[in-house]
This record gives sequence, C-alpha cells and structure tokens, in this order.
Amino acid sequence: MGKIQKKGQAGAAKNYITRTRAVKKLQISLPDFRRLCIFKGIYPREPRKKKKVSRGSTAATTFYYTKDIQYLLHEPLLAKFREHKAVAKKIAKALGRGEAGDAARLEKNLVPKIKLDHIIKERYPTFTDALRDLDDALSMLFLFANLPSSEHVPAKTIALCQKLCHEFEHYVITSHSLRKTFLSIKGIYYQATIQGQDVMWLVPYRFVQRTGGDIDFRIMGTFVEFYTTLLGFANYRLYTSIGLVYPPRFNADLDAQGAELSAFQIEGKGVAVNGDDAHGDVSETVNPEAQAVADRIAAAPVTEEEQPEDAQAVPAGEDENTDTIDKFEAVAPDADVLPQPQASSAEVAALFAPYTFYLARETPRAPLEFLLKAFGCKRVGWDSTLGDGAFTSNESDPSITHQIVDRTAIATEDASETPDGAAPKVQWPRSTMPGRTYVQPQWVWDCINQSKLLRPDLYAPGAELPPHLSPWVKPKKGEYDPNLPLQAQELEGEREAFEDAEDVASEAEAEETDDEDEDDEDDVMESDASVEAGEGMQVDGSEDEEEDGDEPQKPAEEFDGFDSDAESDVSDGEAARLQHQRELEAEATGKTLEPEVVTTKSKNAVVRKKAEKKRKEEQDERDRQKMMLSNKKRKLLKRIEYGSNKRDVEAENLRRKKRKLEKAKAAAEAV
Amino acid sequence: MAPNPRKRKAVTRDVPAASDWDEELADGLLDGILSHSEGESDADSEEEDAESDTSSVIEGLSDEDEEDDENGAFSDTDPDEGEQGIREQMRKLNTRDVSARLNGVDHALDLDSRPQAEGELDDQTDEDLKPNYTITTDANGNTRYLYKEIDPVYDSDDSDAPETTNTIGNIPLTYYDEYPHIGYDINGRKIMRPAKGEALDALLDQIDIPKGWTGLTDPATGKPLNLSEEELDVLKRLTRNEVVEDGYDPYPEMVHYFSGKKEIMPLSAAPEPKRRFVPSKHEAKRVMKIVKAIREGRIQPYKPPSEEEAEEERVYYDVWADEKPRPENSMHLAAPKLPPPGYDASYHPPSEYLPDKNEEAAWLAADEEDREKDYLPKNYEALRKVPGYERFVKERFERSLDLYLAPRVRRNKLNIDPESLLPKLPNPEDLKPFPTTCAAIFRGQEGRVRSVSFDPHGIFVASGGDDGYVRIWELLTGRQVWNVKLSDEDAVDAVKWRPTKDASILAAAAGESVYMIVPYSILSPDVEQASRDILDAGWGYAASKPSTTSIGVTNEPPGKWARPGSKFESKGVLVQATVRSMVKIINWHRKGDYFATVSPRGQSSAVAIHTLSKHLTQLPFRRLKGIAQTAQFHPSKAIFFVATRNTIRSYDLAKQELVKILQPGAKWISSIDVHPGGDNIIVGTYDKRLLWHDLDLSTKPYKTLRFHQEAIRAVRFHQGGLPLFADASDDGSLQIFHGKVVGDLMENATIVPLKVLKGHKVKSRLGVMDVDWHPREPWCVSAGADGTCRLWS
Repeated sequence: MGKIQKKGQAGAAKNYITRTRAVKKLQISLPDFRRLCIFKGIYPREPRKKKKVSRGSTAATTFYYTKDIQYLLHEPLLAKFREHKAVAKKIAKALGRGEAGDAARLEKNLVPKIKLDHIIKERYPTFTDALRDLDDALSMLFLFANLPSSEHVPAKTIALCQKLCHEFEHYVITSHSLRKTFLSIKGIYYQATIQGQDVMWLVPYRFVQRTGGDIDFRIMGTFVEFYTTLLGFANYRLYTSIGLVYPPRFNADLDAQGAELSAFQIEGKGVAVNGDDAHGDVSETVNPEAQAVADRIAAAPVTEEEQPEDAQAVPAGEDENTDTIDKFEAVAPDADVLPQPQASSAEVAALFAPYTFYLARETPRAPLEFLLKAFGCKRVGWDSTLGDGAFTSNESDPSITHQIVDRTAIATEDASETPDGAAPKVQWPRSTMPGRTYVQPQWVWDCINQSKLLRPDLYAPGAELPPHLSPWVKPKKGEYDPNLPLQAQELEGEREAFEDAEDVASEAEAEETDDEDEDDEDDVMESDASVEAGEGMQVDGSEDEEEDGDEPQKPAEEFDGFDSDAESDVSDGEAARLQHQRELEAEATGKTLEPEVVTTKSKNAVVRKKAEKKRKEEQDERDRQKMMLSNKKRKLLKRIEYGSNKRDVEAENLRRKKRKLEKAKAAAEAV
Repeated sequence: MAPNPRKRKAVTRDVPAASDWDEELADGLLDGILSHSEGESDADSEEEDAESDTSSVIEGLSDEDEEDDENGAFSDTDPDEGEQGIREQMRKLNTRDVSARLNGVDHALDLDSRPQAEGELDDQTDEDLKPNYTITTDANGNTRYLYKEIDPVYDSDDSDAPETTNTIGNIPLTYYDEYPHIGYDINGRKIMRPAKGEALDALLDQIDIPKGWTGLTDPATGKPLNLSEEELDVLKRLTRNEVVEDGYDPYPEMVHYFSGKKEIMPLSAAPEPKRRFVPSKHEAKRVMKIVKAIREGRIQPYKPPSEEEAEEERVYYDVWADEKPRPENSMHLAAPKLPPPGYDASYHPPSEYLPDKNEEAAWLAADEEDREKDYLPKNYEALRKVPGYERFVKERFERSLDLYLAPRVRRNKLNIDPESLLPKLPNPEDLKPFPTTCAAIFRGQEGRVRSVSFDPHGIFVASGGDDGYVRIWELLTGRQVWNVKLSDEDAVDAVKWRPTKDASILAAAAGESVYMIVPYSILSPDVEQASRDILDAGWGYAASKPSTTSIGVTNEPPGKWARPGSKFESKGVLVQATVRSMVKIINWHRKGDYFATVSPRGQSSAVAIHTLSKHLTQLPFRRLKGIAQTAQFHPSKAIFFVATRNTIRSYDLAKQELVKILQPGAKWISSIDVHPGGDNIIVGTYDKRLLWHDLDLSTKPYKTLRFHQEAIRAVRFHQGGLPLFADASDDGSLQIFHGKVVGDLMENATIVPLKVLKGHKVKSRLGVMDVDWHPREPWCVSAGADGTCRLWS
C-alpha cells in the first residue's frame, strides 16, 4: 500500500504561495517586496486550480509561484534592503535627536548603493531577450525624460532619462533601424527593428503631463531605476555593436542651449571620427554659421538643378538596384499573402538623404529632427527659437529644399521678386522661396510609413490633410479597410438596405427627429413588403408624396404601411400568386395591367430581398449544423462566433458611417 | 567658606616653588607678598608695601602704600585722639580709590561710632601687625616658615584698577598743602579743597545731624557721604566678617562620598585593579597599528570628497559579453506587449472612425472600467492643434502596475476555424425525401386522439381516441371509411395494425380489453377472409387445449379470450382478449403471431405476450422491477425489450434470460422504438429528451437530443427502408430526423435534424400524442390532442 497522501501537501497547493506568506518568508516589508519583485521581474500567477491552492477559501488572493520566492531568498539585493533598513533606523534616531548633521552624514556614507547589473544579466540572458523587453523601458524613460522634476522625480533622474533616450535615438539614427512611426492622439509611436526584434515605443507630445490622481511615483521610480540600468547596458551593447564609443561625448553647454540630440558627439571606435558618413550631422565641431555660409555658396548654383532632381526622386523608387527584393502583388483577390521583409536599412537611409529640411518654429522639432535624421537626412535646420544645434537657422538659406510648416497659408508673394537678388530674404508665410517645397509635418510621417516620397501638394500648408493611418493595422478578412473603396468591401444588398433606410430615416426625421435606427429598418421592411405585394401604384403615389415632402399626406402614408403590415408575412410565392391572379383578372376584364414601374427603390428592394433571403438560408443551414454539435463544441463555437460577430458589426458600422459621409459629400458637391 | 584642607596643603606646598621661580626677589619681599595675598598677580604692586613697614596699622585692610604710611603714623603717634584721627583721615580720604574708601569708611565708622572700642581695635591691629608666619627649624636645621592660614575674604585679592578722579599722579597730597586746591580732575579743572577747620566745626555744632549722615566726605567728589540704612547694615556685617547677604548659609552640610578616608563599609570592596596603574598593552597595540598604517600610507588624512566624486558615475559595460541562451522555462510567462495603435487612435483618422453623438455620449456615460477603449477618437486638422494626452502618465502607471501586480495566466488562444467545428452534414437535397408539409387533416374525432397506425399496405390509417371510437381513414382522400365504438367509458389507448401484408387485422385496446378487428366492408373479400381465418384459428386451439392454461396457471388465467358479441362482430370486431388491467400499449411481433401488451398499472401482469394463433396470453415476468412503460419485439431476433421508467431491459426470449440493461439516464421514459436493423433504439422521455442508443456501443445513449420544449410522447422509426425517424411532443410539434445507420461497425450513426412540423394545437398542455410512419413513403401521420390527425408528406 502506498503512502497516504495528505491534502495540501503536494502539487498545486505547494506550488503557489500567497503574497502575505511570501513577504513573511522573505522577512521584508511590503514596499521592499514590491521593489524586489519589480527588479527581479517576479509576477503573481493565476493557478489553474485555484480552489486547491487556496484550500477552499474563496477570498481573492494573489499567488506567487513558490519557486520564484525561493529564488528571491538568495538575492543579494535582499541584504542591501536589510542594510538600508538598519541605516534608516539610525537616521531616524539622529533626526529624532535633532542631529541633522549626523543624519546627513549617515545618509551620505552609509546608505547602501543598489546596483542592478547582475539582475540585468539574470533576467535577460541574451541581448535579444533584453531587446524584446525594451518596449516598456523606452516608453517609460521617454515619458520621464519629458516630465518636470518634482519631489517624487528628482532632476537627476530626469537628466539621466534624457541622456539615455537621446543616446538611444542616436543609435537608431546611425543604424537606420527605424521602420514605422505614427502620430496618435496619445503621442508619437515609433517602431524600430533592432537585430531582428521589433521595438515599439511611445513618446508623449511635449506638454505638461497631468500627474495628479492616484499615481504612485514610487512604483514608477522603481521601474525607472531598473529601466535606466537596462537601457544603459543596451545602449552600450548597441553602440559597440556598430563600432561606436559609448558613452558618446556630451556637451553640457550645447545641451543647456536646447541642442538635445546635437549635444552628443558620436565617435567611432577607430582613431578618426568618420564624420561625413553616418553621423556627420552630429559632429558639431564646425561652426554652424560658417557651415551654413559654405553650404550656401556651394548650393547657390545647384538650386536650379534641385528642381528636376526633386522630380526624379519620386520615380526613383521604381528603378532601384536589382539586388533588392521585388514586391509581389497578388493578382487575384483570394490568393494567399506571403510575408516579405520590410524596408531594408539602405532604403531607409536613402529616403530623405538628398534633401535639406527646415523646420518652422511651430513644428515639433524633436520628433521631426529624429525622424528626418533617422531616414537619411543629414541637413536639418530650424528656427533658432527651437534650440541650438541646427544645420542652419536661416530660413532663406538657398540650400533648403523642403520647409515644414504648420500654419495656414496667407497671401504670399514670391521671394524672387524682391529687388535685392543677392540674398533673398524669405519668411514663411509672408513669402515663399521658389523651388522650395512647403509641406505639413504629417507628410514626413506618411512618407516614412509608405517608405516613399508622397505628393507634397496633398500636404501643402493649409490643405486638408489626407487621413493619417496607423501602419500597424493589417486588415483581416471581414474587417473594414479605409484604404479600399467601399464598393469592394460591402456585403451584397447592404448598400440598398442602407439607401432605403436613409430614405425612411430622413423622412422620419422630418416627422420626429429622435427616431431610432432599428425602428426605421422595420418600417422599411413593412413598406417594402407592400411593394412586393404588387401595390405598385400606391407606392408610386406615396413616393411622389415623399418627394413633395407634403406633411399633411403623412397619415395616409402611414395607413398604407399599416395595411401592408398585415400582408407582410405573406411569402414570396404568395405574392407571385397574387400577381398572377391580378393578371388573370385583368385578362378577364379586358384591361391592360399597368406594368410595375421599376423605380430605384423597388430595384433596391429586390436586390436587398434577394440578399436577405440568401443570408437567411445560409443562417438556417448553419443553425441546422449547430444543432448537431455537442454541448462543449457548441459553447466553443459560440465563443468563436462572438468575436467574429463583433468584428462584423464593427465593420458594418464603419461602412455605414462611411456611406453616410459619402452621401453627404455627394450632396454637397451636387449643390 | 571653609578652606579645603587639600587646597591648603597645595598652597603651603606652593610657597617654596614660588620662591624658586623669582630668584631675583629678596626673601623679605617675598614674605611681604605672601603675607598680603595668595596670588602672584599683586606681587609687583605690593613690593613697596612689604618693603615699607610690616607693622602698619591697617595692613590687613588696605593696599594703598602711602596711605599705609599715613595710617601707620596715625595709629602709632596719636591713638587716643579719636576725633582728630577721624578728621585727619577724612582729609586723606580724597585720594583713595573706591574700595579703599570703603575700607577706610568702615574703619572710620568703627572709630566714630564706638570710641570706647578703641582698645579692642588696638588689639585687633596688634594681631594684624604680627607676621603671618612663624619661623621654626626643620629637620636639617634650616629655617622653616610656617605660614598662617590666609583668610580669603573678598578684598584679600583686589586687583580692580582704582578709578582716578584726582589726576595729580602718584605724589603725596601734602604737596598741595599751600594751595587752595588739592589736584586736578580728568578735564584739567582744579579740584578745590573742601572746607575744614573752625568754620566747619562751627557749622557742625549748629546743624542737626541728618539721617544717614556719616560725617564722611566722598573722597572722589569731596561731598558729604550719606549712607542708607541697608548700606550701613552691610558695612556693619562687613566689619564683623559676616556674609553680606541675608540668610545665606555659607557652610551647608556636605557629604564626602569620595574622600581619602578609608571607610569601614566602603561602597565597593574591590581592590583597585591593576589596569589603573599599568599602561594598556592592547591600546598600545592598536595605536601601533594605526601608526604603521599611517607610515605605510594606508590611512590618508581625511579629505572631504568633491561634488563630482559624490555623484556616483554609472559604469556601463557589456553585460552580455558571454551570453548563453537559457532554455525556455515552461513556468515563465513573459509579459504581453501592448498592442499597436489602430486607425482610430490617429490624430487625424478617417472620418468614419469618429464616434457619432450617440457613441460619444455612451462612451462618456460608461464607467471607466467598462469602456472598451480608453480614449475617444478625435480629429485634429493639423498637428499643431493636437493637445497633450492627459491620461498619459496614468496609462503608463497602469501598465507598470500590470507588469508587476497582475496575475499572469497562460491561455490557449482559440485559433480554430469555426467551419471546421461544424459537422460535415450531407447536403439537404441528399436527405430528401422527408415530410415537410401537412397534406391532410383528419377531422371528426371528439376529444384527444390517442393513437394512430398505418395499415401494412399503406392505404388506411387507424386512430383511436378518448371518445372510445376506433376509426379508419382512407389515406388518399382523408375520408373516414369505418368506425366502431369499443367502449363507452374507456378511451381507446392504442391501435396497431398487424404488420404482415397477407391479412389486415387491427388490434385496439380499450380499458382492459384488446380487440382484434377485421374492418368490415372496406377490405377486399379474400383479404378479409384470410384475416378472419387467422383470428378464428385460435378458437379451435383454445377449445382443444382448454386445460393447458388452467393447469399451467393454477389460478385465474392472465387473459380471457372471448367473442365480443354480435353487435361488434357485425362491424368486424371479432376477438376480445381481456387482461387484468388497463392496456396502454400494443406492439406486434414482426411475423404477426405474437403481440405484446403493456398495462403500466398491472404490476406483475404489466407485460403480457399474446399468441394470436392459440388465443393464449402469457406473462413473461413474474415480477418486474419498476413500472413498465412500453415493450417491443426485436425486428429480427428473438429479443424482447421492456422499458420501465428509467431503464430498458432486453431479454432473450429463446434462452429466457436478460441480455442487456440500457440506462438512458432519463427520468421517465415515454416510448421507445427499435431501428429496423435492430442495433439502435430511440427513446423518448417525458423530460423532453430524445435519446439514441447504439446497442453495440454502450448502455449509455450515443446521442442526447433536446430540441423540444415539452415532453416527448412518441418516437417512431420509418420501417420501410427510409432513414427517417420522428418524435411527437407536447409542445405541439413533430420533429423529423435523418438517422442513418451504416452496416460498417466502425462508423457511427449519423443523425441529422431535418424538419420541425407544426400544426397541432396544444390542448390542456397536451400536443401530439402519437406518430406513425407510412410503410413505404416518407409520410407520417400524427395524432393530436386537439382531436385531429394530420398526414405529413
């Protein structure tokens, strides 16, 4: 006979441990435990058999994996925490005695310094693992880099975050690894592909962040502490992997003048700083003004040639090198899509390379500078109010090919008409430079996402911008795709149903404005049934009335609806029989039966009816099949269908809105 | 204050040392110093004093040298002329400093107030005049000075600089005797000599002495000095060597805890430890250690760290220098990444993504946790108009909470194509034919129709109902062709045609009796004759062997076979077999020689098997477990199925043993039917279930179908080769299924629901009572509680 197994001695009951017990086992306070968990990446679990784990108690509890906690027992940080606790006691004692100097000394000398290096290595055994987890780190650090310092967030932390973020941006610029970016209402999303890993992060717009409410900055601070260490090491690895020196030289003076990215000087591992290749823009040793003058001199004769080059740049995408991967477009719509690698770094590096950009002072400089540089542009100038480190801060620099502006256009006069031809002074929006392209900032983002230069006239200042679409959404079957025309997506008979509904809705709106959509659709069905029943004449009449829009006629029309209501459940066959009967009667009396007038409405109704019937049949068939499923499978199917139904409803809703908008637009154009 | 003995000792000890220090001074001079004060600070000023005259009168009281001379002269020359002395002194007082003046005043006052005390004063002065030491010889024969105690009174050591009001310097005042003034004040003005002599005396005689008058002149100002009561008191105390303050105890009792005295009961009896006397080795060791460290440069003098050093520099290096991938741990669940933003998160989305008014209101009204999206899509025409996102920090905070606080669980994502779940059903076209519409309604019955049956040729339908009639309808026309009223009080519970085609016999049950009917005048004569022959054959058997039954069964036989009477016989009701209790179910054997009746209330005689050819009734079960609901013969084997309330038993009739017990899991079985193949049974139950049992599989049902809202009353397979079966339910509907059984043992039966036939009305919660299939065609007929039968085709 085997040993008698006691309940709760093995298995799930032993594998999990509640938080309270974990804290007791580690003999630390709850905040310390929290910090430790954040540092070590320990998280609670949801046991599969919760009842067994909680031994019958139904109270909501957090469970940790016992082995995780056991593993925490050997953590060197634990000793540091205990030391810290001891020192804290001493400091408190000193403060209690009023010995502030003593307390300061204790704090300065005795408080243990926590190093997280070993944890980084432990949590991310390979660099790829670290890259995979960089999303949250980057988002958090970019947020902190944009926060004001407060009592919770010391200025030192913010400076560190800024430094690390800029260093990372420099890596992305140098390695041309940025792939996608998106302007959302939350902030700006970026996605870079670094060593095969997609890293996406979100940078807030530069406004004062709302930090009120129940935000615990101690928790955030703990995360930031870990993430700064992680990003520091990641930066080191990234820099050294492309042969750069880490940390880059940091010019505090330039930074104080708002140079941001340009405050860092990237250096190669070799003796020379290969300035002009990848990071010529960064080596700011040259006096920018002198550089600007030199460039102007160099560019002065080129300005005429710039124009054709610009024109060529767009088709240049087609006759690219032959060693690149060609894009395969499916001919038939039902073909499978084979994934192809996205833009290579060489393409990325070449996107904005031949151009010189100038950022007007109302544009967000930091993201634009980062993006333009990441996509190959080496000469980005901006208004001097936007900070230091610009390629040129002279708006009338002739080497500028593109100017990014975000203001409505007002009446302009061409700068070339000014008498002093030597150095025309241009200033948007008073005057424009001939040959210079003026675009709104969204142009940059859309160009990057489509990895080609788009028509700048669509993005001209003051123009209504095309919608800005997320580059991450891949429309699946059955989902709405705003890129495709509506006709390609809608279901059979949907448009007709919509048009009818619209008619009735508008009609109903005339009557009572707050009518529900569903009711409208019901009405439609009823009135359409009357059409089917062969009361063509009357319907015609009623339609005329509708067009007249006479209000006193409405009750009569409603009565019609009521009449047809009674007949609405008569099947199609019945209707056909009635029609036949009428024909027979007409034949007998010798009258000629008026042929049914085919209006758009009746045509719509026919199409819609057909589609509806087909759908109904399909639905019936499906229900029949479902009857045969076992209970388990039926529930499963229900779950699956829930998702797809939701998706369908959403897509239909979007299509409906789109149709409405299109109709409104068409009406506006007609007027 | 009592001088401390130890202190005193120290003083006496100091003396020779002092003489050692100042060797240039003569012994006598030193003597004088010591006699005047303890401190050396006065030594210089007192040199002269000691030198001049050791026998001065008021030596102990005054420090001023010239004055000493004068005083000494006074007291020596005319001690008895008190008045004179006072005047003289008053004259001299001018030049004295404040402290001296006090002394002088004190002295003068004494003299003045008590002239009779002159002698005492003399004594006192004599005592003062004595040297304050005695000379003895020490052990070596040298002279030894033994000093007296020094009385440390307040003025014994007065180093306060006198405030000079007369600036004539250190010269005797006698130099100014011939001048009207006595000197100059600090501003150089003459200080006039105060009035004196006879004029003064005359004045004194005239004037009453005012209160507080001392008769003294302030030596500094030359004006008469008035003293208050208190001041006088103070002076008096001073002269008596008393403490000036009132009520002050100069000698409080003192406890000598630590003294040189050896106590009899000391506080600690421990002998003085050695370490008090011997230098500590340990300390020396430690000191040497430190000395060594300093010499070697290990200990640096402390230097406060500069600001840059204080800010620790983070050192980064390649942590992943020797990276080794860790094998995947199944227990590790990586945190899911945040999903990328969709179209509607854009700052300038396509306008169809913008919420309309209703959606916006709904979003705003919803609780924050119920919102599907945490943002409301919004459109901004230009990038410059985009405001900051106010929940940014909050969202990031929530994300970090999720990272460390949210329990993680691995969920299998359903990546199943829903189409693959749905069974591959045969095409509905392939399933045809099956009944779809109501082709005929047989009306004319009163009350419920309880039972219907098709005749084996498929021409007639027999029905029996509450009105006690058995009616036969012609199928094609729907006309009632024949009827008979079997009973006035009992309903006809079951009608069943005999299944063979050679004859046409209808069995009907009303009350306890089962009637064998060969309907008169609707059959062809030869068929009618054959049928009558079959029925009549039994009479002979029963007559020839009357004893078997009576012998076999000692008591009353289970069934009585008799002729029903001429009235019935004229209609065609030829045989009446009566059992012990109400018969509810009749089921024929396939060959038509046997039929089974079930009377649920009959207990031991609930199930009876009747032999038509012998007019014999047998009770196969002596006792039956449970209440029998229905019984049926196997279509090909000698197996008999009996259904009780919740089990179905199959018995081998040849071997007379139990074969199988099926447990449908139903609460109350209403009816069963055996598939023509014999391996499958369908079971209808009052708890709304239709169960399909595959006898080869298990005792549990193969499929449980629950499509009815109410109890199922009857189930029936199509017997003529079509894979159909139907059930009838109290919800007024029939359901037609496709139930195909394949000969292959590996393949299970396919059951496909085909059609719900609705038409019967529900009366007093009863809907369709019975159903039967046409022997060949896909038609079925149903009996309804509404008094109609319906043919479905």
